[in-house]
This record gives sequence, structure tokens and C-alpha cells, in this order.
Amino acid sequence: MSTAIKWVIAIIIIAGGAWLLWWSGWLGGIQQPAPESTTTAPAEATSNTPPTLNGMSSASDTSDVAVAQDIAAVDSQMQGLVSDSASVDASVSDTPVTQSY
Amino acid sequence: MNIKTFSQICASLLVFGTMLSPVLVVAQTDGSADVNAAAAVRATDTGTTDAGVSATATASVRTKAMTTAVTRADKEIARRIASLDDANARVQAMQQVTPAFKTSLSAAIQAQIAALTTLQTKIDADTDLATLKTDVQSVTKSYRIYALVLPQVRIAAAADRAVTLATMMNTLGAKLQARIASAGSAGLDTTALSAALEDMGTKLSDASSQAQAAVSATASLVPDNGDKTVMASNAAAFKTARKDLQTAQQNLVAARKDVTAILKGLKVSTTATTTNTVQ
Repeated sequence: MSTAIKWVIAIIIIAGGAWLLWWSGWLGGIQQPAPESTTTAPAEATSNTPPTLNGMSSASDTSDVAVAQDIAAVDSQMQGLVSDSASVDASVSDTPVTQSY
Repeated sequence: MNIKTFSQICASLLVFGTMLSPVLVVAQTDGSADVNAAAAVRATDTGTTDAGVSATATASVRTKAMTTAVTRADKEIARRIASLDDANARVQAMQQVTPAFKTSLSAAIQAQIAALTTLQTKIDADTDLATLKTDVQSVTKSYRIYALVLPQVRIAAAADRAVTLATMMNTLGAKLQARIASAGSAGLDTTALSAALEDMGTKLSDASSQAQAAVSATASLVPDNGDKTVMASNAAAFKTARKDLQTAQQNLVAARKDVTAILKGLKVSTTATTTNTVQ
């Protein structure tokens, strides 16, 4: 093998080794500090508000808008109760019919 | 001026999940016995008779009267199944009961539907008049859908709705209490408003009690299977439950009127401050 080829091979080996050392951080300058942990505590969730029921507003909201929303939700359920009561009336009033042949 | 906290007024409002869950038991009918009874059904004869007429089981051996009875029975069964489907949908919409109770009630309804479907198949295949008559009679005698199951479920659903309403108005009442306190601090005379709030709390508590009473009166009823004494007892229980629910509804309407009075006194600007007239 000619001398030139040997030099080329040597340079490649040395360059490869140097790159490897750099990549592993041995040849790096000042080591970058490890990044700050990103797992910060999640922001405190809003206060433990219970889930709203049937379109009611938040239990802690006493504004006029919230009260109006609550009243609308209540009135909607009142209409449902009228319907349920009618079903009960129909059931209780149902008279048996004798089957004939 | 001390304003009793709304939560104290409504302390008797129980967690409804514990109110209804142990009580309601949809009584199972013994209709399956009729369905599974060994019926004297004539074997299918697809062969040719001496008269040279091909005899398929159903068409040839049924009289016109039997065909009419089968048609009518099918119609009655379909009507009951449709009512049970509606009841099941209503059960799924219940909010105050435990999921286990809801599942149990739904399963009982589904069992009734399955039994009726099986009975319908049997009736459609009946060729013996005596058997057909027994099976058709069992639609009303054993499968007490309209006499027992549906009233029980509908009463439970109405009671559930009543307690849901009481819970919602309880939450609203707490807000109104805060607003009354704030108005009092600002110098407004809140005597009448406090009285209305207290009345509201009492009415809501009573409504919940009456809803529970309605369910308690009907949850453990059993099918009458034609027994007139049991039939009368069941009917009386349902009438009592209906009366309890009507009283609960009246209390909820009265509580709603208290809300209107409070809002008027506080001069709260809402788009819906008038009471819907409910019977």
C-alpha cells in the first residue's frame, strides 16, 4: 500500500475518532447544563367545582347571568316533571280490559 | 339579622343515590312459566293429505277466530313492548339513582321484553285453540306490564325528577342566600326575602320526602296474577304514590314561586323570572 493511501486511511481514522469524541461530549466546550425539567407541577386546577347539573351554572357564580341560567334549567326540568306526572296519571288510571275470544 | 344558612334548612335533603337504590324492585312476573309450558302444538304436516290438499301447520288448522285472536295478541304484545322501550329510555335518563340500580331496573325491563317476544313467537305458532287461549290470556294475566311494571317505573322516574329538581333548586337557593346577605349588608331590608328563602328550603325538603314516599309505597309490589285482592292493594298503593308525587310537585312549584319573589326583591335582572304555570 502506498504511503499516500496510508495517510488517507490514518486521517480518516483520526477524524472519525475525533468526531466520535465530540459527539459523545468529550471534546465539547463547556458542557451545556441539563435542560430544566419540563415536568413542572400543573397549574392548580380551578377550585374543585362539582359538575353542573342539567345546564345549571357554576355553583360559585352568583351573577345575574348565572342565576338566569339556573332558572332556565329549573324551568326545563319542571316541564319534564309535568310530563312524568302525566305518565304516572295515565298508568295509575289505566283500567284492565278483559280479553275476549 | 341572622339568616339561617340555606344548607341548614335543606339538611334533610338526602343524597338521592342512597334514597332510591335499596328500595325499588321491579317484581318479576312468572310469565315465563306460561311461555315454557309444554304446549300441545300439532306437529307440522307438510305432506299431502288424502284429500290431496297440502297442509302447512299454521294456516290450515287455524280457524278464523284463532287468527283474529293471534292478530290481536300480537298487537297487544307490540304495544307493551313499545311501552317498555319508552320506560327503559326513561330509566336511562334518571339522574339520582346509582348506576347499579339503573342497570338492575333496565335489566328487569329487558327481561320482560324478551319474555313477551318469546310469548309472541309461541302465540304465532299455536295451532291448538286451548293453548292459544291460555297464551293470549297470559299477556294480561301473567305479564302485568300495564298493571304493575310500567306504573312502578314511571313513579320511580317521576320521583327521580322531583329530587333532581330539589337538588337544583337547593343549589340556586344557596346563591340566592349569598345575594340576600350581600343586599342586607348594603342596607336593604331582607326580612321578606329571608322568609321566602326559608319557605323555599322547607318546600324542597318536603318535596324530596314525598318523592321517596312514592317510591317506597310501590317498590315492593308483586304481580296480582288475577288475584283481585292483590290487584286492589296494588291499585291503592299506586294511588297513594301518585298523591305523594302530586304533593311533591306542588311543593316544587311553591318553591319556584319563592325564587321569583326573592329575585323580584333583589331586583335581579334575568330573562326568566316568571313562574311557569304547572298543574
